[in-house]
Amino acid sequence: MPLDLHDDIQRAPVVLAYGAEASMLDHLAAGQSARAREAVLREIAIAGVVAHDVVVGARSLVVTHQANDGEKVRAILRDVSLHTTPESSPGTQHFVEIAVRYNGDDLDSVAQQCGITTREVISLHTDADFVVEFCGFAPGFAYLTGLPLTLVLPRRTTPRPRVAAGSVAIAAHYSAVYPRESPGGWHLLGNTTHEMWNINRHPPAFLQPGTHVRFVELA
Amino acid sequence: MTLLVEHVGFTTVQDAGRRGWAHLGVSHSGAADRGSFHLANRLLGNSPGAAVLESAGGVAVRATSDTFVVITGAECDAALNDRPVSHCQPLLMRAGDLLRVSTVHHGVWMYLGVAGGIDGPEQLGSHSHDTFGNIVPLPLDNGSELEVGVLQGPPLGMDTPVALRNSERVAIAAGPHGYMFRQDDLVDIFRQPWTVSGEPNRVGIRLMGPAVHRDFTDELHSFPLVRGAVQLTPAGELVVMLADHPTTGGYPVVGVVLPLDVDRLAQARAGARVTWQWRQV
Repeated sequence: MPLDLHDDIQRAPVVLAYGAEASMLDHLAAGQSARAREAVLREIAIAGVVAHDVVVGARSLVVTHQANDGEKVRAILRDVSLHTTPESSPGTQHFVEIAVRYNGDDLDSVAQQCGITTREVISLHTDADFVVEFCGFAPGFAYLTGLPLTLVLPRRTTPRPRVAAGSVAIAAHYSAVYPRESPGGWHLLGNTTHEMWNINRHPPAFLQPGTHVRFVELA
Repeated sequence: MTLLVEHVGFTTVQDAGRRGWAHLGVSHSGAADRGSFHLANRLLGNSPGAAVLESAGGVAVRATSDTFVVITGAECDAALNDRPVSHCQPLLMRAGDLLRVSTVHHGVWMYLGVAGGIDGPEQLGSHSHDTFGNIVPLPLDNGSELEVGVLQGPPLGMDTPVALRNSERVAIAAGPHGYMFRQDDLVDIFRQPWTVSGEPNRVGIRLMGPAVHRDFTDELHSFPLVRGAVQLTPAGELVVMLADHPTTGGYPVVGVVLPLDVDRLAQARAGARVTWQWRQV
Protein backbone atom coordinates (compact mmCIF):
# COMPACT_ATOMS: atom_id res chain seq x y z
CA MET A 1 0.00 0.00 0.00
CA PRO A 2 1.45 3.36 -0.97
CA LEU A 3 2.06 5.96 1.69
CA ASP A 4 1.76 9.64 1.06
CA LEU A 5 5.08 11.43 1.27
CA HIS A 6 3.77 14.78 0.12
CA ASP A 7 1.04 16.87 1.62
CA ASP A 8 -0.93 17.90 -1.42
CA ILE A 9 -3.11 20.95 -1.88
CA GLN A 10 -6.17 20.90 0.35
CA ARG A 11 -9.28 20.43 -1.78
CA ALA A 12 -12.77 21.27 -0.55
CA PRO A 13 -14.58 18.31 1.06
CA VAL A 14 -16.81 16.49 -1.40
CA VAL A 15 -19.55 13.84 -0.97
CA LEU A 16 -20.05 11.22 -3.66
CA ALA A 17 -21.58 7.83 -4.40
CA TYR A 18 -19.01 5.00 -4.18
CA GLY A 19 -20.87 2.38 -6.18
CA ALA A 20 -24.45 1.39 -5.33
CA GLU A 21 -23.87 0.37 -1.70
CA ALA A 22 -21.38 2.94 -0.36
CA SER A 23 -20.90 6.70 -0.12
CA MET A 24 -17.70 8.66 0.44
CA LEU A 25 -16.82 11.94 2.13
CA ASP A 26 -13.45 12.81 0.57
CA HIS A 27 -10.84 15.54 1.00
CA LEU A 28 -11.24 15.98 4.75
CA ALA A 29 -8.55 18.10 6.39
CA ALA A 30 -5.68 16.27 8.11
CA GLY A 31 -6.71 14.90 11.50
CA GLN A 32 -10.46 15.21 10.86
CA SER A 33 -11.45 11.69 9.83
CA ALA A 34 -11.83 10.11 13.30
CA ARG A 35 -13.87 13.10 14.50
CA ALA A 36 -16.01 12.99 11.36
CA ARG A 37 -16.62 9.29 12.01
CA GLU A 38 -18.04 10.02 15.46
CA ALA A 39 -20.34 12.65 13.99
CA VAL A 40 -21.50 10.35 11.18
CA LEU A 41 -22.23 7.49 13.61
CA ARG A 42 -24.30 9.88 15.75
CA GLU A 43 -26.24 11.41 12.83
CA ILE A 44 -26.89 8.03 11.23
CA ALA A 45 -28.33 6.72 14.50
CA ILE A 46 -30.57 9.80 14.82
CA ALA A 47 -31.78 9.44 11.23
CA GLY A 48 -32.52 5.73 11.77
CA VAL A 49 -30.47 4.70 8.74
CA VAL A 50 -28.70 1.34 8.85
CA ALA A 51 -24.97 1.70 8.16
CA HIS A 52 -23.07 -1.55 7.68
CA ASP A 53 -19.68 0.04 8.25
CA VAL A 54 -18.31 3.54 8.77
CA VAL A 55 -14.64 3.38 7.76
CA VAL A 56 -12.04 6.14 7.75
CA GLY A 57 -8.94 6.68 5.63
CA ALA A 58 -6.27 9.36 5.95
CA ARG A 59 -8.49 12.13 4.50
CA SER A 60 -11.75 10.33 3.76
CA LEU A 61 -14.67 8.47 5.27
CA VAL A 62 -16.85 5.78 3.70
CA VAL A 63 -20.27 4.50 4.79
CA THR A 64 -21.49 1.18 3.39
CA HIS A 65 -25.27 0.92 3.28
CA GLN A 66 -28.25 -0.57 1.44
CA ALA A 67 -28.57 0.63 -2.16
CA ASN A 68 -31.80 2.56 -1.49
CA ASP A 69 -30.29 4.50 1.48
CA GLY A 70 -27.64 6.26 -0.65
CA GLU A 71 -29.38 9.65 -0.82
CA LYS A 72 -30.09 9.72 2.94
CA VAL A 73 -26.49 8.79 3.80
CA ARG A 74 -25.05 11.38 1.42
CA ALA A 75 -27.25 14.09 2.96
CA ILE A 76 -25.82 13.17 6.39
CA LEU A 77 -22.26 13.22 5.02
CA ARG A 78 -22.82 16.68 3.48
CA ASP A 79 -24.14 17.94 6.80
CA VAL A 80 -21.18 16.49 8.72
CA SER A 81 -18.68 17.92 6.22
CA LEU A 82 -20.03 21.41 6.88
CA HIS A 83 -19.67 21.05 10.64
CA THR A 84 -16.35 19.20 10.88
CA THR A 85 -13.63 21.81 10.69
CA PRO A 86 -10.11 21.93 12.10
CA GLU A 87 -11.49 24.27 14.79
CA SER A 88 -14.40 22.06 15.88
CA SER A 89 -14.16 20.61 19.37
CA PRO A 90 -12.13 17.44 19.84
CA GLY A 91 -14.15 14.24 19.99
CA THR A 92 -13.98 11.61 22.71
CA GLN A 93 -10.35 11.53 23.82
CA HIS A 94 -8.86 8.14 24.57
CA PHE A 95 -5.19 8.00 25.65
CA VAL A 96 -2.97 4.94 25.85
CA GLU A 97 0.72 4.35 26.57
CA ILE A 98 2.72 1.63 24.85
CA ALA A 99 5.92 0.40 26.49
CA VAL A 100 8.66 -0.23 23.93
CA ARG A 101 12.06 -1.89 24.03
CA TYR A 102 14.01 0.14 21.44
CA ASN A 103 16.19 -2.61 19.97
CA GLY A 104 14.82 -2.78 16.42
CA ASP A 105 16.89 -3.99 13.48
CA ASP A 106 16.59 -0.62 11.71
CA LEU A 107 17.32 1.68 14.66
CA ASP A 108 20.91 2.33 13.53
CA SER A 109 20.08 2.78 9.87
CA VAL A 110 17.20 5.17 10.73
CA ALA A 111 19.60 7.26 12.87
CA GLN A 112 22.13 7.28 10.03
CA GLN A 113 19.57 8.20 7.34
CA CYS A 114 18.13 10.98 9.53
CA GLY A 115 21.59 12.26 10.48
CA ILE A 116 21.05 11.90 14.25
CA THR A 117 22.04 9.47 17.01
CA THR A 118 19.97 6.41 17.96
CA ARG A 119 19.37 8.08 21.33
CA GLU A 120 17.84 11.05 19.49
CA VAL A 121 15.66 8.73 17.39
CA ILE A 122 14.30 7.19 20.60
CA SER A 123 13.73 10.62 22.22
CA LEU A 124 11.89 11.94 19.18
CA HIS A 125 9.69 8.83 19.07
CA THR A 126 8.89 8.86 22.80
CA ASP A 127 8.30 12.64 22.93
CA ALA A 128 5.78 12.66 20.10
CA ASP A 129 1.99 12.76 20.62
CA PHE A 130 0.57 10.22 18.20
CA VAL A 131 -3.07 9.81 17.11
CA VAL A 132 -4.56 6.86 15.21
CA GLU A 133 -5.64 8.27 11.87
CA PHE A 134 -7.08 5.04 10.45
CA CYS A 135 -6.67 1.26 10.50
CA GLY A 136 -5.87 -0.91 7.49
CA PHE A 137 -3.37 -3.38 6.00
CA ALA A 138 -4.34 -6.02 8.58
CA PRO A 139 -6.86 -6.33 11.44
CA GLY A 140 -5.68 -4.02 14.24
CA PHE A 141 -2.95 -2.28 12.19
CA ALA A 142 -3.26 1.40 13.17
CA TYR A 143 -1.64 4.26 11.24
CA LEU A 144 -0.39 6.76 13.84
CA THR A 145 0.17 10.38 12.81
CA GLY A 146 2.37 12.77 14.76
CA LEU A 147 5.78 11.49 13.67
CA PRO A 148 8.36 14.33 13.91
CA LEU A 149 9.49 15.47 10.44
CA THR A 150 13.10 14.53 11.26
CA LEU A 151 12.05 10.85 11.29
CA VAL A 152 10.11 10.91 8.00
CA LEU A 153 11.70 8.36 5.63
CA PRO A 154 10.36 6.44 2.64
CA ARG A 155 9.65 2.76 3.22
CA ARG A 156 12.52 0.30 2.96
CA THR A 157 13.35 -0.46 -0.67
CA THR A 158 13.16 -4.19 0.08
CA PRO A 159 10.28 -5.21 2.36
CA ARG A 160 10.93 -7.98 4.86
CA PRO A 161 9.00 -11.21 4.23
CA ARG A 162 8.40 -11.52 7.99
CA VAL A 163 8.06 -8.83 10.64
CA ALA A 164 7.35 -10.07 14.18
CA ALA A 165 4.10 -9.24 16.00
CA GLY A 166 4.64 -6.29 18.36
CA SER A 167 7.29 -4.64 16.15
CA VAL A 168 7.20 -0.85 16.52
CA ALA A 169 7.96 0.78 13.18
CA ILE A 170 7.96 4.00 11.17
CA ALA A 171 7.49 4.86 7.48
CA ALA A 172 6.63 8.12 5.72
CA HIS A 173 4.59 10.28 8.16
CA TYR A 174 3.40 7.29 10.20
CA SER A 175 4.34 5.06 13.09
CA ALA A 176 2.66 1.70 13.75
CA VAL A 177 2.82 -1.50 15.78
CA TYR A 178 2.53 -4.74 13.79
CA PRO A 179 -0.46 -6.59 15.33
CA ARG A 180 0.68 -9.98 14.06
CA GLU A 181 3.55 -11.47 12.13
CA SER A 182 3.31 -10.33 8.53
CA PRO A 183 5.42 -9.10 5.63
CA GLY A 184 6.40 -5.45 6.05
CA GLY A 185 8.45 -2.63 4.56
CA TRP A 186 8.56 -0.25 7.52
CA HIS A 187 11.67 0.64 9.55
CA LEU A 188 11.76 -1.34 12.81
CA LEU A 189 12.63 0.72 15.91
CA GLY A 190 11.76 -1.76 18.65
CA ASN A 191 9.07 -4.02 20.02
CA THR A 192 6.29 -4.10 22.56
CA THR A 193 4.48 -6.88 24.41
CA HIS A 194 1.17 -4.97 24.31
CA GLU A 195 -1.36 -7.08 22.44
CA MET A 196 -2.59 -4.95 19.53
CA TRP A 197 -5.19 -7.47 18.36
CA ASN A 198 -7.14 -10.08 20.29
CA ILE A 199 -10.22 -11.38 18.55
CA ASN A 200 -11.76 -12.47 21.88
CA ARG A 201 -11.46 -9.01 23.46
CA HIS A 202 -14.03 -6.27 22.96
CA PRO A 203 -13.10 -4.30 20.99
CA PRO A 204 -10.49 -6.62 19.47
CA ALA A 205 -8.18 -3.75 18.43
CA PHE A 206 -6.12 -1.96 21.11
CA LEU A 207 -5.84 1.11 18.87
CA GLN A 208 -8.85 2.63 17.08
CA PRO A 209 -9.29 5.73 14.93
CA GLY A 210 -8.91 8.74 17.24
CA THR A 211 -6.94 6.97 20.02
CA HIS A 212 -4.04 9.12 21.33
CA VAL A 213 -0.79 7.18 21.81
CA ARG A 214 2.49 7.83 23.65
CA PHE A 215 5.42 5.42 23.38
CA VAL A 216 7.38 4.90 26.60
CA GLU A 217 10.90 3.49 26.63
CA LEU A 218 11.48 0.29 28.62
CA ALA A 219 14.93 0.25 30.14
CA MET B 1 -26.15 -33.90 13.19
CA THR B 2 -22.72 -33.41 11.64
CA LEU B 3 -21.11 -33.60 8.22
CA LEU B 4 -17.83 -35.47 8.13
CA VAL B 5 -15.33 -34.04 5.65
CA GLU B 6 -13.67 -36.93 3.83
CA HIS B 7 -11.78 -35.13 1.11
CA VAL B 8 -11.16 -31.43 0.69
CA GLY B 9 -9.61 -29.00 -1.83
CA PHE B 10 -9.56 -25.25 -1.05
CA THR B 11 -12.77 -25.08 0.97
CA THR B 12 -13.96 -22.65 3.65
CA VAL B 13 -17.11 -22.01 5.65
CA GLN B 14 -18.86 -18.82 4.49
CA ASP B 15 -21.98 -16.89 5.48
CA ALA B 16 -23.19 -13.32 4.80
CA GLY B 17 -19.95 -11.91 6.28
CA ARG B 18 -19.15 -9.63 9.23
CA ARG B 19 -20.24 -6.04 9.45
CA GLY B 20 -19.17 -3.22 11.73
CA TRP B 21 -15.43 -3.95 12.03
CA ALA B 22 -13.98 -2.48 8.83
CA HIS B 23 -12.77 0.63 10.73
CA LEU B 24 -10.39 -1.71 12.63
CA GLY B 25 -9.06 -3.26 9.42
CA VAL B 26 -11.44 -6.24 9.26
CA SER B 27 -12.88 -7.03 5.85
CA HIS B 28 -16.53 -7.80 5.27
CA SER B 29 -15.64 -11.27 3.94
CA GLY B 30 -18.56 -13.69 3.39
CA ALA B 31 -19.41 -15.69 0.26
CA ALA B 32 -17.42 -14.58 -2.82
CA ASP B 33 -20.49 -15.12 -5.05
CA ARG B 34 -23.35 -13.83 -2.90
CA GLY B 35 -26.06 -14.74 -5.43
CA SER B 36 -25.12 -18.44 -5.45
CA PHE B 37 -24.79 -18.41 -1.65
CA HIS B 38 -28.28 -16.94 -1.17
CA LEU B 39 -29.70 -19.35 -3.76
CA ALA B 40 -28.39 -22.33 -1.77
CA ASN B 41 -30.08 -21.11 1.40
CA ARG B 42 -33.36 -20.25 -0.38
CA LEU B 43 -33.51 -23.70 -1.97
CA LEU B 44 -33.08 -25.36 1.43
CA GLY B 45 -35.55 -23.09 3.24
CA ASN B 46 -32.69 -21.88 5.47
CA SER B 47 -32.50 -18.48 7.14
CA PRO B 48 -30.89 -16.07 4.64
CA GLY B 49 -27.47 -15.82 6.33
CA ALA B 50 -26.96 -19.53 7.12
CA ALA B 51 -23.37 -20.72 6.68
CA VAL B 52 -22.41 -22.99 3.77
CA LEU B 53 -19.24 -24.55 2.38
CA GLU B 54 -17.51 -22.58 -0.38
CA SER B 55 -15.07 -24.65 -2.43
CA ALA B 56 -12.75 -23.98 -5.32
CA GLY B 57 -11.06 -27.36 -5.21
CA GLY B 58 -13.78 -29.88 -4.53
CA VAL B 59 -15.03 -31.47 -1.33
CA ALA B 60 -16.60 -34.72 -0.14
CA VAL B 61 -18.86 -34.95 2.93
CA ARG B 62 -20.62 -37.83 4.69
CA ALA B 63 -23.88 -37.24 6.60
CA THR B 64 -24.28 -38.71 10.11
CA SER B 65 -28.09 -38.53 9.88
CA ASP B 66 -30.72 -37.79 7.22
CA THR B 67 -30.55 -34.26 5.81
CA PHE B 68 -31.06 -32.14 2.71
CA VAL B 69 -28.15 -30.55 0.85
CA VAL B 70 -27.82 -28.50 -2.34
CA ILE B 71 -25.00 -27.50 -4.72
CA THR B 72 -24.94 -24.06 -6.37
CA GLY B 73 -22.35 -21.77 -7.99
CA ALA B 74 -19.58 -23.10 -10.23
CA GLU B 75 -20.58 -25.96 -12.53
CA CYS B 76 -18.85 -29.11 -11.33
CA ASP B 77 -19.13 -32.88 -11.24
CA ALA B 78 -21.20 -34.00 -8.24
CA ALA B 79 -22.12 -37.50 -7.12
CA LEU B 80 -24.16 -38.91 -4.24
CA ASN B 81 -22.81 -42.38 -3.44
CA ASP B 82 -21.15 -42.33 -6.90
CA ARG B 83 -24.47 -41.55 -8.66
CA PRO B 84 -24.35 -38.23 -10.59
CA VAL B 85 -26.65 -35.54 -9.14
CA SER B 86 -27.90 -32.16 -10.38
CA HIS B 87 -27.03 -28.62 -9.42
CA CYS B 88 -29.49 -26.27 -7.77
CA GLN B 89 -31.75 -29.09 -6.68
CA PRO B 90 -32.12 -30.11 -3.02
CA LEU B 91 -30.83 -33.64 -2.47
CA LEU B 92 -31.85 -35.99 0.32
CA MET B 93 -28.78 -37.49 2.01
CA ARG B 94 -29.42 -40.52 4.19
CA ALA B 95 -27.25 -41.21 7.20
CA GLY B 96 -23.97 -42.62 5.91
CA ASP B 97 -24.37 -41.23 2.35
CA LEU B 98 -21.31 -39.64 0.71
CA LEU B 99 -21.64 -36.50 -1.44
CA ARG B 100 -18.61 -35.81 -3.59
CA VAL B 101 -18.13 -32.58 -5.56
CA SER B 102 -15.08 -32.63 -7.80
CA THR B 103 -13.86 -31.14 -11.09
CA VAL B 104 -15.10 -27.62 -11.72
CA HIS B 105 -16.08 -27.15 -15.38
CA HIS B 106 -17.15 -23.56 -15.30
CA GLY B 107 -16.68 -20.78 -12.76
CA VAL B 108 -14.59 -20.86 -9.59
CA TRP B 109 -16.66 -21.08 -6.41
CA MET B 110 -19.04 -23.95 -5.71
CA TYR B 111 -21.42 -23.75 -2.74
CA LEU B 112 -22.57 -26.75 -0.72
CA GLY B 113 -25.51 -25.80 1.46
CA VAL B 114 -27.05 -28.00 4.15
CA ALA B 115 -30.54 -27.75 5.67
CA GLY B 116 -30.15 -25.90 8.99
CA GLY B 117 -26.83 -24.33 7.94
CA ILE B 118 -23.33 -25.07 9.21
CA ASP B 119 -23.02 -24.18 12.88
CA GLY B 120 -19.28 -23.88 13.45
CA PRO B 121 -17.21 -21.34 15.42
CA GLU B 122 -18.00 -17.64 14.96
CA GLN B 123 -15.66 -14.66 15.27
CA LEU B 124 -16.90 -11.05 15.29
CA GLY B 125 -20.40 -12.21 14.46
CA SER B 126 -19.69 -14.41 11.45
CA HIS B 127 -18.67 -17.97 10.56
CA SER B 128 -16.81 -16.74 7.48
CA HIS B 129 -13.14 -17.56 7.07
CA ASP B 130 -11.39 -14.35 5.98
CA THR B 131 -8.36 -15.33 3.88
CA PHE B 132 -6.83 -11.83 4.10
CA GLY B 133 -7.24 -11.16 7.84
CA ASN B 134 -7.07 -14.87 8.83
CA ILE B 135 -10.23 -14.62 10.91
CA VAL B 136 -11.96 -17.87 11.90
CA PRO B 137 -8.75 -19.78 11.21
CA LEU B 138 -10.62 -22.98 10.39
CA PRO B 139 -8.75 -24.95 7.77
CA LEU B 140 -10.96 -27.77 6.62
CA ASP B 141 -9.06 -31.04 6.63
CA ASN B 142 -9.88 -34.58 5.79
CA GLY B 143 -11.60 -35.77 8.94
CA SER B 144 -13.02 -32.38 10.02
CA GLU B 145 -16.47 -32.53 11.56
CA LEU B 146 -18.95 -29.77 10.76
CA GLU B 147 -21.83 -29.19 13.16
CA VAL B 148 -25.15 -28.55 11.41
CA GLY B 149 -27.86 -26.27 12.79
CA VAL B 150 -31.55 -26.92 13.25
CA LEU B 151 -33.73 -27.51 10.19
CA GLN B 152 -35.81 -24.37 9.44
CA GLY B 153 -38.39 -25.72 7.00
CA PRO B 154 -38.89 -27.92 3.96
CA PRO B 155 -36.64 -27.35 0.91
CA LEU B 156 -38.06 -25.65 -2.18
CA GLY B 157 -38.49 -27.49 -5.47
CA MET B 158 -36.83 -24.94 -7.69
CA ASP B 159 -35.43 -21.42 -7.97
CA THR B 160 -33.65 -19.40 -10.64
CA PRO B 161 -29.90 -19.88 -10.83
CA VAL B 162 -27.77 -17.29 -12.62
CA ALA B 163 -26.15 -18.76 -15.74
CA LEU B 164 -22.36 -18.46 -15.87
CA ARG B 165 -21.03 -17.08 -19.14
CA ASN B 166 -17.61 -16.71 -20.77
CA SER B 167 -17.70 -13.12 -21.91
CA GLU B 168 -18.75 -10.99 -19.00
CA ARG B 169 -20.52 -7.71 -19.59
CA VAL B 170 -20.00 -5.95 -16.31
CA ALA B 171 -22.05 -3.00 -15.04
CA ILE B 172 -19.81 -0.30 -13.58
CA ALA B 173 -20.47 3.07 -11.92
CA ALA B 174 -18.13 6.05 -11.64
CA GLY B 175 -15.36 5.74 -9.05
CA PRO B 176 -14.35 8.45 -6.56
CA HIS B 177 -11.00 9.22 -8.21
CA GLY B 178 -12.16 9.92 -11.75
CA TYR B 179 -11.13 13.56 -11.20
CA MET B 180 -7.48 12.49 -11.42
CA PHE B 181 -7.85 11.55 -15.10
CA ARG B 182 -8.63 13.41 -18.29
CA GLN B 183 -12.15 12.42 -19.33
CA ASP B 184 -10.86 10.88 -22.60
CA ASP B 185 -8.32 8.73 -20.77
CA LEU B 186 -10.99 7.50 -18.38
CA VAL B 187 -13.33 6.62 -21.26
CA ASP B 188 -10.45 4.80 -23.01
CA ILE B 189 -9.87 2.55 -19.99
CA PHE B 190 -13.34 1.06 -20.24
CA ARG B 191 -13.99 1.20 -24.00
CA GLN B 192 -11.93 -1.91 -24.65
CA PRO B 193 -12.26 -5.39 -23.18
CA TRP B 194 -9.96 -6.48 -20.36
CA THR B 195 -8.84 -10.05 -19.65
CA VAL B 196 -8.89 -11.82 -16.29
CA SER B 197 -5.44 -12.97 -15.18
CA GLY B 198 -3.96 -14.69 -12.15
CA GLU B 199 -5.16 -17.43 -9.85
CA PRO B 200 -8.69 -17.32 -8.42
CA ASN B 201 -8.76 -15.92 -4.90
CA ARG B 202 -11.16 -14.24 -2.46
CA VAL B 203 -9.28 -10.91 -2.16
CA GLY B 204 -9.26 -9.32 -5.63
CA ILE B 205 -9.47 -10.20 -9.31
CA ARG B 206 -6.71 -8.91 -11.59
CA LEU B 207 -7.38 -7.76 -15.16
CA MET B 208 -4.96 -7.02 -18.00
CA GLY B 209 -5.93 -4.61 -20.75
CA PRO B 210 -4.98 -1.70 -22.95
CA ALA B 211 -2.18 0.69 -22.01
CA VAL B 212 -3.63 3.40 -19.76
CA HIS B 213 -2.56 7.01 -20.00
CA ARG B 214 -2.09 8.69 -16.64
CA ASP B 215 -0.79 12.19 -15.96
CA PHE B 216 -0.38 12.09 -12.21
CA THR B 217 2.55 10.83 -10.19
CA ASP B 218 1.44 11.59 -6.64
CA GLU B 219 0.05 8.73 -4.63
CA LEU B 220 -3.29 9.12 -2.91
CA HIS B 221 -3.87 9.34 0.80
CA SER B 222 -4.99 5.89 1.96
CA PHE B 223 -8.77 5.62 1.68
CA PRO B 224 -11.41 2.95 2.44
CA LEU B 225 -12.02 0.27 -0.19
CA VAL B 226 -15.36 -1.42 -0.88
CA ARG B 227 -16.32 -4.68 -2.60
CA GLY B 228 -16.40 -4.01 -6.34
CA ALA B 229 -13.98 -1.04 -6.25
CA VAL B 230 -11.76 -1.09 -9.38
CA GLN B 231 -8.22 0.08 -8.57
CA LEU B 232 -5.77 1.05 -11.32
CA THR B 233 -2.30 -0.08 -10.25
CA PRO B 234 0.93 1.70 -11.26
CA ALA B 235 1.62 -1.32 -13.53
CA GLY B 236 -1.55 -0.47 -15.48
CA GLU B 237 -3.61 -3.42 -14.26
CA LEU B 238 -7.13 -3.22 -12.88
CA VAL B 239 -7.85 -5.02 -9.60
CA VAL B 240 -11.49 -5.49 -8.59
CA MET B 241 -12.02 -5.91 -4.85
CA LEU B 242 -13.76 -9.14 -3.75
CA ALA B 243 -15.11 -10.35 -0.38
CA ASP B 244 -11.81 -10.44 1.57
CA HIS B 245 -10.39 -7.16 0.17
CA PRO B 246 -8.11 -5.03 2.36
CA THR B 247 -10.13 -2.30 4.11
CA THR B 248 -7.95 0.56 2.80
CA GLY B 249 -5.97 1.15 -0.39
CA GLY B 250 -3.92 3.78 -2.16
CA TYR B 251 -4.36 3.31 -5.91
CA PRO B 252 -7.02 5.37 -7.68
CA VAL B 253 -10.49 3.78 -7.90
CA VAL B 254 -11.56 4.41 -11.50
CA GLY B 255 -14.94 2.67 -11.22
CA VAL B 256 -17.09 0.49 -8.97
CA VAL B 257 -18.59 -2.77 -10.27
CA LEU B 258 -22.25 -3.09 -9.24
CA PRO B 259 -22.96 -5.81 -6.64
CA LEU B 260 -24.58 -8.51 -8.81
CA ASP B 261 -21.75 -8.29 -11.32
CA VAL B 262 -19.09 -8.63 -8.59
CA ASP B 263 -20.53 -12.15 -8.17
CA ARG B 264 -19.91 -12.87 -11.84
CA LEU B 265 -16.36 -11.50 -11.73
CA ALA B 266 -15.62 -13.60 -8.64
CA GLN B 267 -16.56 -16.65 -10.73
CA ALA B 268 -14.39 -15.62 -13.74
CA ARG B 269 -11.22 -17.57 -14.55
CA ALA B 270 -7.97 -16.44 -16.15
CA GLY B 271 -8.55 -15.70 -19.82
CA ALA B 272 -12.18 -14.58 -19.43
CA ARG B 273 -12.94 -11.38 -21.33
CA VAL B 274 -14.65 -8.52 -19.50
CA THR B 275 -16.45 -5.67 -21.23
CA TRP B 276 -17.92 -2.70 -19.39
CA GLN B 277 -21.28 -1.01 -19.32
CA TRP B 278 -21.57 2.34 -17.52
CA ARG B 279 -24.47 2.82 -15.12
CA GLN B 280 -25.70 5.65 -12.94
CA VAL B 281 -26.25 4.87 -9.26
